[in-house]
Amino acid sequence: MVIVIMGDEAKNSSTATEDVSQLNQDELIMAQQRQIEKEISETIPLVGDLENILLLEHEYSNDDVYQEKVKNLAKKYKSIRRTRPDGNCFFRAFSFAYIERLLDKKEDFDAFYKKTAKSKDDLVELGFQQFTVEDFYDTYLDVLKRVGDIAEVEGAKTELHSLFNDQGYSDYMVVYLRLLTSGQLQKEKDFYSCFIEGHTTVEDFCHQEVEPMYKESDHIHIIAACAALGTGVRVVYMDRGTGKAVTEHDLPEGCVPSVHLLYRPGHYDILYPI
Amino acid sequence: MSTPARRRLMRDFKRLQEDPPTGVSGAPTDNNIMIWNAVIFGPHDTPFEDGTFKLTIEFTEEYPNKPPAVRFVSHMFHPNVYADGGICLDILQNRWSPTYDVSAILTSIQSLLSDPNPNSPANSMAAQLYKENRREYEKRVKACVEQSFID
Repeated sequence: MVIVIMGDEAKNSSTATEDVSQLNQDELIMAQQRQIEKEISETIPLVGDLENILLLEHEYSNDDVYQEKVKNLAKKYKSIRRTRPDGNCFFRAFSFAYIERLLDKKEDFDAFYKKTAKSKDDLVELGFQQFTVEDFYDTYLDVLKRVGDIAEVEGAKTELHSLFNDQGYSDYMVVYLRLLTSGQLQKEKDFYSCFIEGHTTVEDFCHQEVEPMYKESDHIHIIAACAALGTGVRVVYMDRGTGKAVTEHDLPEGCVPSVHLLYRPGHYDILYPI
Repeated sequence: MSTPARRRLMRDFKRLQEDPPTGVSGAPTDNNIMIWNAVIFGPHDTPFEDGTFKLTIEFTEEYPNKPPAVRFVSHMFHPNVYADGGICLDILQNRWSPTYDVSAILTSIQSLLSDPNPNSPANSMAAQLYKENRREYEKRVKACVEQSFID
């Protein structure tokens, strides 16, 4: 989600003094951004509860285009789980939904655990600093282990949901997926460089747009995150565009998606097929 | 109470002690691991040479997901340092990555002293002199260096 950071408050204080450049603009902007984030975090959970898909109609009670699209969506999907719009929504939604899905099938979960256990060495080999990567890796594996140890599937899912709403764990899960995504982009940089606009290198792109928290995800992040985890995702686009139907995109193309996400401009939520 | 931020700061501190980078040092204040004092020595072959510049680093519970607030306590004359000591450096703002630690922050600020970016000025006078009158710039910086012995 896009957060406009130049609000009135920052503007007033900068015109109040004559020498604008001497005033620490960065801190004013950051303070205001923190205030906006605080308001969002007090109202929307990191990963919400399952909700009936038709509840979406309430959001668009005066909007025929969207009403029609929600009805269309309800033919394929029974529920939705919202995520907090903090710029991490894709990574958080994808990470949560994929692990939740893996819990249904023990063999798949175990295979993913093994794959993830090896991932730290790959990142270190790519030049990531072992000392800091370890911190996130340990937490990621700890979460997998804690939910994997619960024999009963529903109980494991409840624990996963609760860990993903604990800011400490949840954000570390997001960071580690961001690092895996960055690693994937750098490992296949010849391929991915074609998708990056301008003269930015893949490394710079990763430092600016992938690794920092709260940076929104684009197509390229999704493709690389899917490749890093070895899975595919279906993104269902719902916007004001013409036509009654929502548009579906499978990433990578032709995959059998394990995760379904609803995209409304600037934000991803998790969808559950019928 | 141990939180992810505090655990991580203990790790950062341990690493800074075991593997200290040249020309920088830092440690948590006595009672509070969330507030650190640090020193950056002016890099050789720059007008900052021989200076010992003090900084404070303030972390929030969101560290390392968000960068700490870093500020020079010593008086600085540098294109990217505000009058209040705040630092205009991309990795402390929009290019922050959770993989950076205190060691990386301090070494980045150290290299900012050697390579100012006058196109994104926090101190417009310093930026202008750096671009147009290097001698006067160096004179003003040297005054800070001398000031740093007294602070």
